[in-house]
Amino acid sequence: DDAPTDAPVLKKRNKQRVLLLSSRGITHRMRHLMSDIEVLLPHVKKDSKLDSKNHLHLLPELADLNNCNNALYFEARRHEDLYMWAAKTPNGPSIKMHVQNVHTMDELKMTGNCLKGSRGLLSFDKAFEQTEWGKLTKEVFTHIFGVPPQARKAKPFIDHILTFSLIDEKIWFRNYQIIEKDPLQPNGPPQTSLVEIGPRFVLTPIRIFEGAFSGTTVYSNPEFVSPAAVRSALRREKGDKYGSRKD
Amino acid sequence: EDAVPKQKVEIDNKIALARIRETIKLDPSIPWTDTLVVSYPETIDVDVDDDLNRELAIYKQALHGAQLAKTLAAKHSFPFTRPSDYFAEMVKSDTHMERIRQRLLDEGASIKRSE
Repeated sequence: DDAPTDAPVLKKRNKQRVLLLSSRGITHRMRHLMSDIEVLLPHVKKDSKLDSKNHLHLLPELADLNNCNNALYFEARRHEDLYMWAAKTPNGPSIKMHVQNVHTMDELKMTGNCLKGSRGLLSFDKAFEQTEWGKLTKEVFTHIFGVPPQARKAKPFIDHILTFSLIDEKIWFRNYQIIEKDPLQPNGPPQTSLVEIGPRFVLTPIRIFEGAFSGTTVYSNPEFVSPAAVRSALRREKGDKYGSRKD
Repeated sequence: EDAVPKQKVEIDNKIALARIRETIKLDPSIPWTDTLVVSYPETIDVDVDDDLNRELAIYKQALHGAQLAKTLAAKHSFPFTRPSDYFAEMVKSDTHMERIRQRLLDEGASIKRSE
């Protein structure tokens, strides 16, 4: 009897798992940022450092081995510049970004706290909807930074919000704790307020590739100047000043 | 003579970007509680070097998101607020929170002293 059996209607779910790893040569601050991300996102699988900076095509395989369909790869250059790759594996796309202004949760200025493994809200401002690359970035970030409901370590309550804001062509990341009681009036009406938890960072999009860590470039940021070029320009300026003084 | 600055080639292949987004897009029928994404209906136009106003604008975005999410959660009858008798491991340890508290106290004391 080969009559088709009625398959139960499967509910569509948001299933995401993210492979998190870095290149070699990351500094302590970069490492702390990574562990902050790991502790905030319970659907992340952290892997050991990738040995080679030239064989990024290994990453989709590695993600597959870990049952991940996303990858977040931190690439350190010259022990000071940090790049972040956010990719959908195995078919892409991937977004390469430059990470600046990193503040980690260890800093004592950010006084918020939240449950380990609680699912964070994601907030995107309207600017993401105004460009095609912004829309794609929003979609990819929704997959990577949004905690899926069936994540094993996820907690059932919401107590923090991750915000992504596009200001000056850069993506600003913040993480706030949501407080619903006024500490001064514990029995008063519930009033929502926020306290920053951290980490903080700013991302400058550089390129978007069609594949996962490969493929043709579908977007490139004309404004982006590599940090090495900035430093060399500064040094040259200094050298010119010295040269003109000597003459 | 000044060197002519190299003009970088800008690539913005909107058709390809839209096509890629179509291939990875989450099914629109999945409930909001699966993604927990909220959109802020405004863009943020502040001077990036003005730390105070920039942080205020981002705070407003987050506050709007939190309030919107709370109403959405109520609509989906999704648990939002943590009950006060629910305890679990936190992201920052108790020793870390104690250090934060101590720092706040120290700061308050030094302000008082200088007055």
